[in-house]
Amino acid sequence: MAHMFLFKPTLSLSLRLNKTSISLPHRSFRHSHPPFPFLSSTHPISLPSASDSNNRTHIRCSSNHTSTAVEGSEKSFVHLTDVELMRQCEMDTFKASGPGGQHRNKRESAVRIKHLPTGVIAQASEDRSQHKNRASALNRLRSLIALKVRKTVDLEAYSPPRELLQILPPKSSIRGSDCGPQIGPNNPKFALGMQALLDLFFAVEGSVSEAAKYLGLSTGALSRIILSDDSLRKEVNNLRASKGMKPLK
Amino acid sequence: MKLTLTSVYRPHCFPTLLNSSSFISLCRPFCTSALSSVPTGVKPQVPLFLRPPIYSTKLCDLKKWHDWAKGLAFSVGSTFLHSDNGPDSSLLCRELKWLMEDAVVGHHSLGVKDDGRVEMRVDMEELYCLWRQRILERRPFQYVVGCEHWRDFVLSVQEGVLIPRPETELVVDFVSGVVSENEDLKKGAWADLGTGSGALAIGIGGVLASGGGRVIATDLSPVAVAVAAYNVQRYCLQDNIELREGSWFEPLKDMEGRLAGLVSNPPYIPSKDISGLQAEVGRHEPRVSLDGGIDGMDALLHLCDGAALMLKPGGFFAFETNGKQQCRALVDYMENNRSGSFCNLEIRADFAGIQRFVIGFHQ
Ligand SMILES: C[S@@+](CC[C@H](N)C(=O)[O-])C[C@H]1O[C@@H](n2cnc3c(N)ncnc32)[C@H](O)[C@@H]1O
Repeated sequence: MAHMFLFKPTLSLSLRLNKTSISLPHRSFRHSHPPFPFLSSTHPISLPSASDSNNRTHIRCSSNHTSTAVEGSEKSFVHLTDVELMRQCEMDTFKASGPGGQHRNKRESAVRIKHLPTGVIAQASEDRSQHKNRASALNRLRSLIALKVRKTVDLEAYSPPRELLQILPPKSSIRGSDCGPQIGPNNPKFALGMQALLDLFFAVEGSVSEAAKYLGLSTGALSRIILSDDSLRKEVNNLRASKGMKPLK
Repeated sequence: MKLTLTSVYRPHCFPTLLNSSSFISLCRPFCTSALSSVPTGVKPQVPLFLRPPIYSTKLCDLKKWHDWAKGLAFSVGSTFLHSDNGPDSSLLCRELKWLMEDAVVGHHSLGVKDDGRVEMRVDMEELYCLWRQRILERRPFQYVVGCEHWRDFVLSVQEGVLIPRPETELVVDFVSGVVSENEDLKKGAWADLGTGSGALAIGIGGVLASGGGRVIATDLSPVAVAVAAYNVQRYCLQDNIELREGSWFEPLKDMEGRLAGLVSNPPYIPSKDISGLQAEVGRHEPRVSLDGGIDGMDALLHLCDGAALMLKPGGFFAFETNGKQQCRALVDYMENNRSGSFCNLEIRADFAGIQRFVIGFHQ
């Protein structure tokens, strides 16, 4: 049974005595896990079936091979705080059969979060506590959104955002020295850079050499970044395949 | 009352004396896993996953057990589900996997070579016995392994103590939201009444620790107090959490008008519903932790009355209830019988969308 949850950004307790408001839970999530290990499998993993108790890490994305285009003016979803992001989500937890609470002893701890504006779905069920599954599902959602949700890029006036510059090697001719050390795929901030890079790729219709020009890199150097992360490589290759181009290897 | 707790795990966590008016715990690091208590006879059990791996078994014997256990789980089908909304085979198989994780060192995949040996925290005979209890007696999985994963914690539980529920996790978020906006509450003294395993006290103790606040946790049940003390020490929160044995506000006489916050998940199930509960709950969890009287509201109303007396002005409270009806009844009671005592009352839903909590402030 699906339930919709909207999350309040802050706990506001400003109601008068004779008027009792009803509101849904406020949550804060902690980023305790690196965002990518679950994305390293080569195929999207499907939701667990009832009989499949062995596979405890599940993710699914509703838009596996297509990307959702979103208005360029919108604030990037990936930049939202956990609470802001959850406000845009619907969440299924344990099936709400029966009254719950003290009545119940059931370890249905799978959590599934659907991001309503994009339809991206992330799920986590590998942990024994609901709490941790919720946090992991949100982390996954964030990375999936980075991979699947595209912002339109105006190539005429293109200047790469800072988070993209940060994942480029120092030899890039447009990367200033104020960008700090290069951020690699194991850094949680890589997702932001990856998203911006994919936005550019879509704008140049999958051409590595075109994209490299905008980033002040050689084609080879850009290819190396793409190949450094499995999920990024897969996404770029999906795009190239849809344009009839050869995959990067 | 005097209790002595010793544990084999994380010895560095046990060096300090926990001192309170009604509870003294002496901790001796580097002792055996035996937990002894004097003189109540309450003996907190060590959860399976923390027991020393002193057993060893042939992998093929473990595999044999696993096959047998899986077969037993599958034989259940959905009979429990249909009879009392209990677990079905797929849930039981998941639990079986967790049992392996806790019982076997370095959770071996059963795929590898048969002639090897595996280290275990229980012997094979007991492992058979535990799974039989799980299936045939419907003993809750958490009692079988002696722990429950709750928020970021792994809490020890045993017969005589309520297994903390996922719904209750939200109360810690409410508190965390409130104290993040109010330094004064963060520094203050909080109470968790009917603490059971100590779940809420520990969750809130962690939230308050950085600001210097503390929690007094009470319970009527000596088993609950002993288990809560064990959990508090496992998380090294003995400086922030004090345990007191007694009925509701009775052990808090010294705190009148001084509490910055009060939380409770009291027994709230109407007495007539107890007999129809899922077997894991009704047959195995303590009635005193579930039965809330005729309409389930006995403890909740008592807590409301006490909250008006014990909270300082601006103090926060959060109560868990049985659902919409009790939430409404509680709010009505507060508005009509205790008007002027409370403000900013809110009903909050749990993650299944059920109106579950009443929160608010003392005037
Ligand atoms: C539903 S359990 C909640 C346990 C724990 N707070 C949790 O959320 O997991 C209710 C608790 O209230 C305790 N209790 C029942 N009657 C009590 C009383 N008169 N005074 C204090 N505690 C009581 C029970 O022993 C039990 O631990």
